Amino acid sequence: MSPGIVEAELLPRPRYALTDRQSSDVLFVGPDGTTTASMFLNAARHLADALPDASHVVNLCQDRYRFAVAFAACVLRKQVCLLTSDRSPARLRQLGDDFSNVISVSEDPAVAGLSRHHRMTACLGQVGPSEAVPMVAADQLAAIVFTSGTTGEPMANRKLWGALVERSLAAAVRFELTARHRNTVVGTVPPQHMYGFETTILLPLHANVASWHGPAFYPHDIRRALRQVDAPRILVTTPLHLRNLLAAGTECPPSLKIISATAPLPVAVAAAAEARWGAPVMEIFGATEIGSVASRRTVTDVAWTLYPGVGFLPERQFSMERIMVTAPFAEPWPLNDNIEMVDGGKFRLLGRTADMIKLAGKRASLAGLNQILNDIEGVTDGLFVAPDDLDERSAARLLAYVVAPGQTSENILAALRLRMDPVFLPRRVIRVDDLPRNEVGKLPRAALDRLQDACSDA
Amino acid sequence: MNFDMKATTESELARLIVDTLHLELNPDEIVPDARLFGEGLGLDSIDALELALALSRSYSIELKSDDPDIKEIFSSLRSLAAYVARHRGS
Repeated sequence: MSPGIVEAELLPRPRYALTDRQSSDVLFVGPDGTTTASMFLNAARHLADALPDASHVVNLCQDRYRFAVAFAACVLRKQVCLLTSDRSPARLRQLGDDFSNVISVSEDPAVAGLSRHHRMTACLGQVGPSEAVPMVAADQLAAIVFTSGTTGEPMANRKLWGALVERSLAAAVRFELTARHRNTVVGTVPPQHMYGFETTILLPLHANVASWHGPAFYPHDIRRALRQVDAPRILVTTPLHLRNLLAAGTECPPSLKIISATAPLPVAVAAAAEARWGAPVMEIFGATEIGSVASRRTVTDVAWTLYPGVGFLPERQFSMERIMVTAPFAEPWPLNDNIEMVDGGKFRLLGRTADMIKLAGKRASLAGLNQILNDIEGVTDGLFVAPDDLDERSAARLLAYVVAPGQTSENILAALRLRMDPVFLPRRVIRVDDLPRNEVGKLPRAALDRLQDACSDA
Repeated sequence: MNFDMKATTESELARLIVDTLHLELNPDEIVPDARLFGEGLGLDSIDALELALALSRSYSIELKSDDPDIKEIFSSLRSLAAYVARHRGS
């Protein structure tokens, strides 16, 4: 046994309550009524008793309240929740193979899940006996959140209970969710996505927030949800939804705040939303690996402010200096973006490293996608290209140039479909005789532009 | 609904899908019974939002997540056309 372990055991393990809310506080609001902390804890205890033995539980619940109950039940049972945005049968089979003692849980009878699946039955309603709120060790592994995989294997990101709680408390300070008036969050992002998990599941447990658990995807859903919940309201959404809401001419009630993440929010969209709804538009900077770490008000702030407790740590690796993001109970994470520190501990983003692209809140490396393309049988060379307006135009997708004599575009697309998240599939597969690589095998930008011009003329 | 009107809506909607999503194909290449999402055209949830917006502009149809038919509506061009024919302008 190493001396480090002895030392760790002598120190008291920090613990955090499953929820910091009072028993009569409202945690979730839906079309059918409200759920208090007491009802929530009771439902979580019941489900914890009912869940089969397993080390890992894939949480497939679509309803946010059920999702939160399943998550809390797993925490109580010391089972690790697996959160995956990709819920395709192939992905679920993969999780079944990767984890030896895994089950899935869902409230929806139509969801098939894994071979070992637990269907949650009704859990709304009952107030349980008032018991002490359970305390959970900060170093308990509470969840593994998967990034969307680009090389066939999504990356697993371990989330300790302490990290989730500390960051929720930091977000509560940043967005002033500690005041006497309860805010209600209407989220358009799935709870299996890290941003949706933090804002619509964890915030209600640790900040003065209730979370809407009815439909909130189409403009009609969102308008109805915002009307139905009490003020003040917070719409937690994405640039894509915001643009869509604006284009649909959606009316929103007053006393509204908007939070956006998953992709850079164009200032013009933020300004239009502020003008139209009189709602300040805040933007969160974060990543699945580290969670939300900074925020700004897009129309007034060029610079981002780190959440309380989050910091930067420069690290030298070979000749490269990279910036690590640090936060309580979280694994330090290297930034993909170049930054510049400005006054008052704020920072500016100077653009991401060119290889990384982002679509539908999912990140991929072009190099990784090219690898997949070039591994397809019959493909002798191939290249994914991101259009210049990828971040601005929501319908924008990648395209691919492929050298594959004897292969059809349809076959190539079908092969890609088996190996990558559908949002990264090329909208066009352009077959060319060869790619204009230079003597060292690289593709100069100018040569690529000429190729693109030639293909669009054709 | 007679056969001609159904065909009109299908070709109209095929054009709407291609234009809205900037697809690189001719509208008549969309197979009416093929799946629009996942397999088939390979559309995703972002496309669903874009299409919903286009439907509200062109046909004053507002989609709702809790519509019991919502999964059916987007399953194929044919089912989308049937839905639009039932609800257009209403």
